[in-house]
Amino acid sequence: MIRLGGGRVYDPANGIDGEVRDLFVHAGRIVAAPAPGTRFDREIDLAGRMVMAGAIDVHTHIGGGKVNIARAMLPEDHRDSAFARTDITRSGSGHAAPSTFATGYRYAEMGYTACFEPAILPVNARQAHMEMGDTPIVDKGGYALLGNDDFLLRLLAAGADQSLVNDYVAWTLHATQCIGIKIVNPGGISAFKFNARKLDVDEPHPHYRVTPRAILGALTRALHDLAVPFPLHVHASNLGVPGNVDTTLATMDAAGGLPIHLTHIQFHSYGTEGERKFSSAAARIADAINRHKNVSADVGQIMFGQTVTASGDTMAQFRNSRHAHPAKWVCMDIECDAGCGVVPFRYRDSAFVNALQWAIGLELFLRVQDPWRLFLTTDHPNGAPFTSYPHLIRLLMDRDFRNRKLAEIHPEAAAHSELAGLGREYSLYEIAIMTRAAPARSLGLTDRGHLGVGAAADIIVYEDLPDLEQMFAAPEYVFKDGELVAQRGRIVKTSRGATHVVRPDFDRGIEKPLRDFFERFHTIGFDNFAISADELAECGSRETLVHPCPRNGR
Amino acid sequence: MSKQPTGAQEFIHVPCPFCGLLCDDLRIAVSERAATVVANGCTKSRRLFNASSRADATPLANGKPVALEVAAKKAAAILREARQPVLISAGTDVAGMRALLELAERTGGIVDHNSGDAMMRNLLVLQDSGWISTTLTEVRNRADLLVVAGTDISSRFPRFYERIFGEFESLFITGERDLCFLGAMPQDLPAPLKARATAVAVEPERLGEVFGVLRSLLAGKTLNAKAVAGIAMPELAALLARMQTARYGVLTWTAADLAFPNAELAIRSMCELVTALNASGRFAVLPLGGTDGDLTAAQVTTWQTGFPLRVSFAGGKPAYDPWQHSARRLLERHEADAVVFVSALDAAHSPPESEAPAIVLGRPGTNPGDASVFIPVATPGLHHAGHLFRADNVVAIGVRKLTESAMPSAGQALQMILGATENPL
Repeated sequence: MIRLGGGRVYDPANGIDGEVRDLFVHAGRIVAAPAPGTRFDREIDLAGRMVMAGAIDVHTHIGGGKVNIARAMLPEDHRDSAFARTDITRSGSGHAAPSTFATGYRYAEMGYTACFEPAILPVNARQAHMEMGDTPIVDKGGYALLGNDDFLLRLLAAGADQSLVNDYVAWTLHATQCIGIKIVNPGGISAFKFNARKLDVDEPHPHYRVTPRAILGALTRALHDLAVPFPLHVHASNLGVPGNVDTTLATMDAAGGLPIHLTHIQFHSYGTEGERKFSSAAARIADAINRHKNVSADVGQIMFGQTVTASGDTMAQFRNSRHAHPAKWVCMDIECDAGCGVVPFRYRDSAFVNALQWAIGLELFLRVQDPWRLFLTTDHPNGAPFTSYPHLIRLLMDRDFRNRKLAEIHPEAAAHSELAGLGREYSLYEIAIMTRAAPARSLGLTDRGHLGVGAAADIIVYEDLPDLEQMFAAPEYVFKDGELVAQRGRIVKTSRGATHVVRPDFDRGIEKPLRDFFERFHTIGFDNFAISADELAECGSRETLVHPCPRNGR
Repeated sequence: MSKQPTGAQEFIHVPCPFCGLLCDDLRIAVSERAATVVANGCTKSRRLFNASSRADATPLANGKPVALEVAAKKAAAILREARQPVLISAGTDVAGMRALLELAERTGGIVDHNSGDAMMRNLLVLQDSGWISTTLTEVRNRADLLVVAGTDISSRFPRFYERIFGEFESLFITGERDLCFLGAMPQDLPAPLKARATAVAVEPERLGEVFGVLRSLLAGKTLNAKAVAGIAMPELAALLARMQTARYGVLTWTAADLAFPNAELAIRSMCELVTALNASGRFAVLPLGGTDGDLTAAQVTTWQTGFPLRVSFAGGKPAYDPWQHSARRLLERHEADAVVFVSALDAAHSPPESEAPAIVLGRPGTNPGDASVFIPVATPGLHHAGHLFRADNVVAIGVRKLTESAMPSAGQALQMILGATENPL
């Protein structure tokens, strides 16, 4: 048993805000205080230290085809960041598109213990799980991409009963070993294959004649009916388009009051005011989120510098390809399932649009009142690599620092933003909510994201440093499942992570039309499509953690 | 799977690991460790499934039979002595590549694929300009025009016209499919396609010129030439018009067939035309690969190191050089002093000629040449389960174990060598 004594504990799930507490760890779990006189295998005095649960990234592109295209495309991203193996760690490389080993180590060193890959194409799920299997230490999970696949669009076009949609969604979660469902540009990726270049929320798909609103409605309903804890994860239509604020509001509305998560909303909060016809609509979006309690979001903050954007949204990525830096990019139509686009990008603080994007993201952070419904992301690597999180946390917690940075950006962008007038500073408690407690609750991970008795002993200990960026970049201790894995930014032990999944009940009758669809149209057989639990282990997962769908009844 | 009275066990929906299409509808009977393709086979799958498994093949050290452990220790000793080993995949699965990369990392080796030259032609274009690409199921359901550049697809991918582009039910194709070869017209096209297919005679070396001209024409430029690469201008204009009127056109090639100096420039020219066509319509490229685990090698190397192939661990850190780290070049120029050659799929491959001591992990029947160590290994998709990446570089298929084998998988054999490298005693 380990005793971590005297730290200031920030555990919002249990209402603990900086109280001095002792934590006890046994067999990978947090346990109650043992009887007096118990001998400890290890005792660490944490006086003056801050203690939080392991951080959880709900949206980070760490594995799967498009990430690997980004890696292969960008040797220049890797040359200067390559590192050799040690006695305990493997070699690797990469900044914007790090190798799998680099990803696992860097996340763990920063105190992250779970990462969720948000865009797993069902047909590419094996690859995603194999890459995540080679991503050490952190636990993983994925969201399967639906809403541009021909099977679902055919169902909806034929006016199929919602119960069939539900069964298909549940079958997909089982077959892909995922924990949630994501939709990217509803119907738009498919429409791009038919040469459409935009698709608004109420515009019929050029072939199927269903609208994005109808697709969104069917999938939010399905997850609700199946009692999947994590709501539909929505990358809305018209990403990056000036004026897309109306699209984003319409997307919220399409959920019909059911739970919905809007991802990387920074890219969806743009107006058309001003000389340059590009303005912040953060206030309208934040106001809508504040009013709609069924909506959660993550920000997708951008940071200045070189990165690469990897997205399922071929329609948007093709449009954005003219901004590629360096000038090379890939778009791909994939398997009547979805697509992907990989466009390297350099955000510059001297460019009006990029500078305003930066300010819009921060405005959203500061204007949305409820940290339980707003998660901290950069949409790694699309807004910035995940390694910029400590800098982002400092921007949120330190108003003076933020305003100094604001003074460095394109002056017109700064003038167009109301960021300077927003005085809010996040507290450690709020940071713990948005990076731990809230993601765990949203995902339905009952034993993660908190430090109560019975929770997994994913425990992060921070030194109380004046520079918050330094403090969050390299915690003093990182415990994963009760094992010390990193110390002051250095890996001291490696392990394999587990895979989080849900497996809602469903009617196997859906397999009949699915088998028919595969046999007539697909180039993979139905019997070779689904990933079994054994196969997931071969991919590299330590174990599969199945989370309940508590209201699951038909 | 069903037991047959004869004792043969029959498997259905079996994935075939032997070409990039990874067809997964084979019916295979297995008895007495011999596999027979019963249905949905092709010349290649019949040759490689039906080959005698010789599951009792013995490891050799300096040509003499030895125990597996002895062979692994001998291999480890060679690698410990070597100052610059090269490690080549000529066909292994994801697990084999994972082990190969770890062994390379531990021994300061350089990793390449036996088809590295061909693969670099595409990879250099990806790293230089990129492309708009598509995958097999999209082609099957959407492509109303297929332009085949410098390649005879069916010799490498025998069931392509049966399964991917042909006359069968699809989601979106309403009319007939159009097929155009830039190069020779293949002899073995199925009848309905053959009737409509056309061929434009052009040497592969001149494809870059042809696509450059097509792109100029697309941009509205007038060219003062009567013909380019032996093709009359009106014929080129007609080809472009055909590409522009396709609802979803696809341009495909096999990099292995574009074996001429600076072929990557021709491929780039092809990709650039396709990208330009997307300004107003839809068109995509389909660089076909996947055979002999080539894309599998590149995928795993990419996610583990950040670089697609030709990665050196000589300096500890992974370092990429598409020219310097060519295994063949290193061996020809005596810059490598040990070679690990892994060929678990097809016994027809043998290691490149070299004076460096060779450690060959091969399917039984592989000619080990004068290899210092030969370890016969099991075949993924026949003797053990595994994962391979398909021609379009997107779909990974789980191949299956159909029969027992006493031989280790390539991944297991490499892990044994790795273990022996660390614990010499």
